[in-house]
Amino acid sequence: MEGGLILWPVILAVGALNYLSRLSFIAAFGRRSMPAWLARSLKFVPAAMLTALVLPMIVGVPASGAVAWANPRVLAAIIAAVAAFYTHSTLKTLAAGMLSLWFLQWLASALG
Amino acid sequence: MMPACVGLTPFGLVCGVGAAAAGVDFTGALGMSAIIFSGAAQILVMQLYAVGAPVAVVVLTCFVAGLRFLMYSAAMAPYFRPLPAHWRNGLAFLLTDQAFAASVRRFSATHDPRGGALYFLGGGSALWFMWQLTNAIGYLAGNVIPASWSLEFAVPLCFIALVAPVLRDAPAIVAAATAGGFVLALAGLPMKLNLIVAGLIGIVAGTLTDLARERWKAD
Repeated sequence: MEGGLILWPVILAVGALNYLSRLSFIAAFGRRSMPAWLARSLKFVPAAMLTALVLPMIVGVPASGAVAWANPRVLAAIIAAVAAFYTHSTLKTLAAGMLSLWFLQWLASALG
Repeated sequence: MMPACVGLTPFGLVCGVGAAAAGVDFTGALGMSAIIFSGAAQILVMQLYAVGAPVAVVVLTCFVAGLRFLMYSAAMAPYFRPLPAHWRNGLAFLLTDQAFAASVRRFSATHDPRGGALYFLGGGSALWFMWQLTNAIGYLAGNVIPASWSLEFAVPLCFIALVAPVLRDAPAIVAAATAGGFVLALAGLPMKLNLIVAGLIGIVAGTLTDLARERWKAD
């Protein structure tokens, strides 16, 4: 990757904004409480942002950006999601997802 | 915090692998893990940087993903309140998903803010060091492990591990489904702007569903 000059400003800016978000209510001395509408909306940040981040990695074809539902990553991701839902464990989710993907890739090559 | 350190290990390794795959140099990868100190934000930076998104888009997308820190900050604020300002400002840097989850129960159980702060400082620092170590190892391993292992698939898996357990009620499911639908429908937008737009629409959809459900229950 070229453009090493631009990476560091990004790191510093993202780092600073992350820090300010972490500091926000702590710096307000705990006196200022969060408005109810904001508290309600923030609950959905992980569900919405992480899904938006993760879905293209699973169904997207990296080069073209086109949606490809019929690839082994989709099924492997579903199996991993079920594992995550029931175990709450990153390690077990990773194991379920990677083993499923390797098995499906092996199956595809064995059949193909 | 020990279980949190163990739970963090695969995510840290995966972020390191992701940095290697994105072609970031080793100092850049270390800078990201040390300063940004957030897996989701680091992966976003790598992805957006790889498609050449402008700095403003990268920063804005990461800011929206980091809005959850406002929630943690508000939850921890009452416990940090008795501490001197420089302590509060320092401890805020260590406020991560894992540190928050591991210490919020501890704080609410104790009446000793100094003890709680020391616990948070110790655990948060351990998490930070673990994060640097695992990111570095992941980066070095990522350059060695053959592509046929499909190790890059571990990146979405780590996020699945975070997001799947929160999909327990209708509003959260609506937020995720809406964001997911829009991120694919808007995939044609330049600079991966679909991420932030879909994320924001998902947050609004979840909030509205939550409000509607509350009204419906109240009737």
